[in-house]
Amino acid sequence: MEKRNIKMVLVFLMAIFLILPGQTAFAEKPIIIGAPLSTAFLYGWDAERGIKLAVEEINAAGGVNVGGKKRPFKVEVIDTRDLEPGVPVSEALLAVEKLILEKNADFILGGPIRSEAGLAAMDLLSKYKKISILTTGVLTPAYHARVAKDYDKYKYLFRITGEAKWIAGGEQIPALIEIGKKFNLNSVYIMIQDVAWARAFGGIFAKILAKKGWTVIGKPEIYPTGSTDFSMGLLKARREKAQVVIIAMDMPESSILLKQWYDMKVPALPFGSIIAAAEQPGFWKATEGKGEYTLANVINAGNAPSNATDWTMKFYNAYTKMWGIEPEGYGTSSSYMGVYVLKDAIESAGTLDSDSVAAALEKTDTMGVYGRIKFDPKSHQVIPSLDPNTGAVGSIFQWQAGKRVVVFPKSIAMGEIKLPPWMK
Amino acid sequence: MDILIEILIYGSIRSITLALMALGFALVYGTSRVPNFAHGALYIINGFIVWSFLRLLGLNYFFSILLAIIVIGVIGALIYQIILIRVRGIAISEIIASYAIGLAILEGLRWGGFKGMTYTLPTFIQGSIFIVGVPVDLHRIVVLICGAALIGFLWLFTHYTRIGLALRGMAQDERAALMLGIDSDRMAVVAMVFGSMLAGLAAVLLLPLGNIVVESGYNVLILAIAVCIVGGLGSWMGAVLAAFLIGFAQILTEVYLGTHFKTVVALLAIIITLILRPSGLFGRQKELEERV
Repeated sequence: MEKRNIKMVLVFLMAIFLILPGQTAFAEKPIIIGAPLSTAFLYGWDAERGIKLAVEEINAAGGVNVGGKKRPFKVEVIDTRDLEPGVPVSEALLAVEKLILEKNADFILGGPIRSEAGLAAMDLLSKYKKISILTTGVLTPAYHARVAKDYDKYKYLFRITGEAKWIAGGEQIPALIEIGKKFNLNSVYIMIQDVAWARAFGGIFAKILAKKGWTVIGKPEIYPTGSTDFSMGLLKARREKAQVVIIAMDMPESSILLKQWYDMKVPALPFGSIIAAAEQPGFWKATEGKGEYTLANVINAGNAPSNATDWTMKFYNAYTKMWGIEPEGYGTSSSYMGVYVLKDAIESAGTLDSDSVAAALEKTDTMGVYGRIKFDPKSHQVIPSLDPNTGAVGSIFQWQAGKRVVVFPKSIAMGEIKLPPWMK
Repeated sequence: MDILIEILIYGSIRSITLALMALGFALVYGTSRVPNFAHGALYIINGFIVWSFLRLLGLNYFFSILLAIIVIGVIGALIYQIILIRVRGIAISEIIASYAIGLAILEGLRWGGFKGMTYTLPTFIQGSIFIVGVPVDLHRIVVLICGAALIGFLWLFTHYTRIGLALRGMAQDERAALMLGIDSDRMAVVAMVFGSMLAGLAAVLLLPLGNIVVESGYNVLILAIAVCIVGGLGSWMGAVLAAFLIGFAQILTEVYLGTHFKTVVALLAIIITLILRPSGLFGRQKELEERV
């Protein structure tokens, strides 16, 4: 009898212990952010960490003011697996639908990440009238073009991260032109992954660089996802005397390409339009330093150290402190900012109603981690710029002596571009 | 001329790479007739085992490799003794069971946090050399030499050792081998151990060229199956020759048609082989004289 009483007291105390913190912190129902992400991949877990950091900061500061009531954010992450080779797009769509129907997500933030999955999810999100802010992946220009073309249908969809057309035409081509002028380079070879966004990148680069007077060697070389040998492509680049190798790949195996480039001493500067493997801080150790001189684009400032805005290094340090590693991939700072922008929009609308929040998001104008954040009112694409005071800025960095040194755009550069010794 | 030399050098490297990936699969199937669909998973898990010994426990690199190959052999034996032995002889169950084991290993690794691009193994030798003007890194030369040596060793092993002869005997006719006192279950375990060790050896030779990612396990399995089907299921010499056929076909495709067609080559080779010669180039199915 005595034992039973002790057990009951213990259970009662445990129940109080478990229930009380939630009640004292927030009496209101949480706002659920559904995050469909390919969590086994860099662009999935970096976004997840960025979102969770912002949510933790916002909740610690009192939560979101919805019509006078403070409500916390709660994140529900689901693995879409859309970055994995061979996983059909339908898997990502199921994941998004599960977030909406089973997890009762109030908002969708993050992915899906693969362009094909992102485009396919547009109709689903529109059907459920769910506000979605794309914060990682889906670089295809087709996404915001569709929003602009059929605004009434897709008005709930926003993208707070860069897209291929601007990244290639607005940032990377000017960066290449600058490199070309500085080092007298004008011949390029393009190696891309067999996915929609990379094909778009490859096409844009080939077309614009040819117009700018560069020699584009052959057609962009397309590699199936999961390729582990790039020797013939690199040998071709060497044989045809390419001076820059543009790489657009988000598969982990892209690090093999850079190792091979180093081992073959290909006299061409590797320019990662997107090269997932080189984005991570662990890349240096993983390639035993063979990735030195690789240029990589991390889409938004804040994913590599710079002083783009007052918030940039605050975010960078907070992320590093929370996760024990620096921001890794290109979806980090934008996923973090996505939560803050959503919070502001909800507070401005005073409700979770999709139409009201969408209208509030359209009016967003805030100085964020990677510059001024504003959405194009028709296409809902974040407005890009080379100056953080006028729009969202990107970051192109180069691996130099084990560090990621931002070299472009000039407004936020932390160092100068260098050539490998075998190119001098 | 330059292109021809490049094709010759990198075609040989690609072929040996494919042969390394496929030998373990061919050995297990040739001996025990068990299609080990966990082959790719064993390849990847061995990479992570070496990585763990090296990076987490701080063991010597070559000791880590040696230890990992022993561990993977034990894992292979356990897989056979605990699971596969119960479904042996039921073809579809063997496939389902071994594939399920592979899936459990690969997804288990992912679930356990082994994801990302930073799991790597150091190359055995740093640097590169030029062969007739074509740059080749030294580790690939090591792969080429070790691969060729392994093929030679396997031939000697299966022709001049008691275990090797027993494996061949079982491969040729299991019932006849039983009558001659060869314990088929024991030999099947031995084959599984050797097959797993070969997968492990392929991993330690090939993974330093890139990084250890779970998804590669599926690719390795597909390539191993492609090589074995083209070479003739069960014929390890056929597998070696098929590896050269597919390897050079892939390289030629990359050079003259485009890199995005290279995956098609392996799959097309399976389809063409199944249509024109279902037993493979060197497989003789029922009238097999020599499978190992």
